[in-house]
Amino acid sequence: MSSPGIAEPTEAIARAKAGDAQAWGQLYHDYAPAIFRFCRRALPTREDAEDATMEVFMKLKGKINQYDPSRPFSGWLYKVAANHCWDTLRRRKIRQDKETEDSDELPLEHPDPSQLDRLIEQRSSAEVRKALACLGKRARMALVMRYYSDMSYDEIADELGVRRAFVGVVLLRARHELRNALEGNAALAAGGKA
Amino acid sequence: MNESSNNPDERLDEHLDDHLDEMTGMLYVEGQLDRQRAQQVSAHSQECPSCRTLLRALERESRLLTRAMLEEDEPLPSRLAAFQQSAQKSMQWIWGAVFGLAATGAYALYTGYVEPMQQRFEQAGFGGSSVLNLMIFQGAFWKGWQSMLTLLEVLALLTIAGSAVVFLRRRLRGRGSVFAMMVAGICAAATVPSPAMATEFRNQGDTIEVGKDETIKGDLFAHGHHVKIEGTVDGDVYVFCQGADIEGHVTGDVIAFAQMLRVNGKVDGNIRSFTNTTWVSGNIAKNLLTFAETVNIDPTGKVGGSVTTFLNTLTIDGAVGRDVLSFGSEATIAGNIGGGIQAQGNTLKFNSGAQVAGPVKFKGNHAPEVSSGAKLAIPVVFTQEEHHKRYEDSGFYVWRVIWTAAVILFGLVLFVLLPNFARSTVDSAERYGASFGLGVLVLFGVPIAAFIACITVVGMMIGISTFILWMTTLFCAQIVVGAIVGQWLMGHTRETWQLIGRMVVGVIVVRVLGMIPFLGGWVRFAVVLWGMGAISLAIYRHFTPPRTVAVPASPVMPPSSLPPNTTIGSPQPA
Repeated sequence: MSSPGIAEPTEAIARAKAGDAQAWGQLYHDYAPAIFRFCRRALPTREDAEDATMEVFMKLKGKINQYDPSRPFSGWLYKVAANHCWDTLRRRKIRQDKETEDSDELPLEHPDPSQLDRLIEQRSSAEVRKALACLGKRARMALVMRYYSDMSYDEIADELGVRRAFVGVVLLRARHELRNALEGNAALAAGGKA
Repeated sequence: MNESSNNPDERLDEHLDDHLDEMTGMLYVEGQLDRQRAQQVSAHSQECPSCRTLLRALERESRLLTRAMLEEDEPLPSRLAAFQQSAQKSMQWIWGAVFGLAATGAYALYTGYVEPMQQRFEQAGFGGSSVLNLMIFQGAFWKGWQSMLTLLEVLALLTIAGSAVVFLRRRLRGRGSVFAMMVAGICAAATVPSPAMATEFRNQGDTIEVGKDETIKGDLFAHGHHVKIEGTVDGDVYVFCQGADIEGHVTGDVIAFAQMLRVNGKVDGNIRSFTNTTWVSGNIAKNLLTFAETVNIDPTGKVGGSVTTFLNTLTIDGAVGRDVLSFGSEATIAGNIGGGIQAQGNTLKFNSGAQVAGPVKFKGNHAPEVSSGAKLAIPVVFTQEEHHKRYEDSGFYVWRVIWTAAVILFGLVLFVLLPNFARSTVDSAERYGASFGLGVLVLFGVPIAAFIACITVVGMMIGISTFILWMTTLFCAQIVVGAIVGQWLMGHTRETWQLIGRMVVGVIVVRVLGMIPFLGGWVRFAVVLWGMGAISLAIYRHFTPPRTVAVPASPVMPPSSLPPNTTIGSPQPA
């Protein structure tokens, strides 16, 4: 996971661990926008994302001593945020997902590449974000963890509580849901025959 | 590679002698295959155009997802921006101290300015009433207080509505609902019937006349080169012109912006004028308040109430029912004054025939001249104006200290109540060119704009509110500059209380520099320009949609995670 566009805040973290309010302010100032955006992608509403951002930073105060300075701070922060958002979603049970690790519906075909290519070509970032809001919580969370915060398959597996080998299934299924939401094209999402 | 197995692990063990399935393609694109399998996929894709296209499409899909996720489509909400301060520490105990200190500051303000002014008005014989009483009930200054009360009611309603919106924010999803609610509220307020009002506007031609036999029921707004009222206006008169003659009868007030105002007729209300010359030969039943170069009340002229003037030359040959308060260069009294006189200026003369029923106090450069024919109830109390003596007076320094403390306390309250805005203002002050430039514009432009706004009835409320805001900004300028100077001396900080500490040091430095003879005036002027500009810049930024703070760059770069010899998104392999 790459670090943010700013240098590692080693000194600020050390001071924050010592209880320096100014250092906390600096960390918040530097990382709150990214965490808010993470939560905004992962949670259903803007208000949820605002609450979650504040709660993540509140949690951070209690967890900062667990942070290992040899690892990127932003990566650790995203894990805290992902954990919080996933807990929030699970508690609410907004939408029942396929929680089991079944692979009955796992598409195995070779989809029509040109059709998929066209769909991607025609869709804008804004449309993707809109479609993201229509996904189930696990699909959404998986995509956000993977494509927003660049978490590894192992980290995603830890957060979602699934086997590492199943993460690919979750992600591919999430992509299909997204395509469905984008196009309403079930055939494409299921993987058309070549 | 269409296999019968649904197990992703098993699937990967199959030979790549058919098309790639989507899962394998995605894992390859994501760099999740081991090296051997990735090489198989790579080799296959070099020979199979369909699989190459699939891999490219999956790769583009990954990029689209990353781009959609990372795009900064909305700024950090203000609630989160404010959270930083509230999360830092509990401020409960501070509030008591702040309000205590603010009360001390308010007391200093009252004893320093309000009380002396109140005493001055009382000494001037305004019926022994308080300033508040005078302004509100006697309407000595402004008839629009009723409108202000209405404005306050509207503001109160808006405050309640705003609180309700905040309270219900969680239940109102999206800005559209809030906006719709506000619009609905405004529409509802607008539909409330307003009292019937007959108002006549006249601005046609160079000369506007109200004929002798003409009667206007309601207020009259007249704008032209010359305005002449010979008939009757059963209401207030607002005139904006070069010359105005009131020879008829006005039952309400007259508010005039004119080079020359002549009152030969009868005005049942007050006259408030901003003129070069005001002549009163007729009868004003209530009070006269004027900002002018010259004011003459002729022997036939009569003012039933008080006369308040800010001018160069005042001559009273006629009668004034109550008190005279005059700030000007020369004042000459030859008429009958029913109350007392409070005057400040260069000279004060009482000619033969002058009669004054109340006390006379004069503060000026020369002793008052009292003719032997003048009849004064009490001898004039004269105070010689003493220039430059204030620097030798210890009281001057005591009050300087008190005022500095008051400014600091005021700044403390502002910084604690509005920490984000205070920090933003101090940041703005560091943009020296923009602050000074905007400061010049605001210092001179806003009062002019407020004055122009006052020309209209509705605009009068806006104009006066703007002027009050301008005055507040003028006062706050030294606090902002003090914070900057403090940061110069003690280093930059983002923490509120450390910034307050720097503000305290800076304000003291700025006020000491402002006391230096000759140079101090320029220092104060520069402080006003700089501070007002910074505050205006911060206000402008506050009401401008914020730009998002720099955030982490794209953390996902799929191409870098691809195995060697990949052909995804690049020219087709040979």
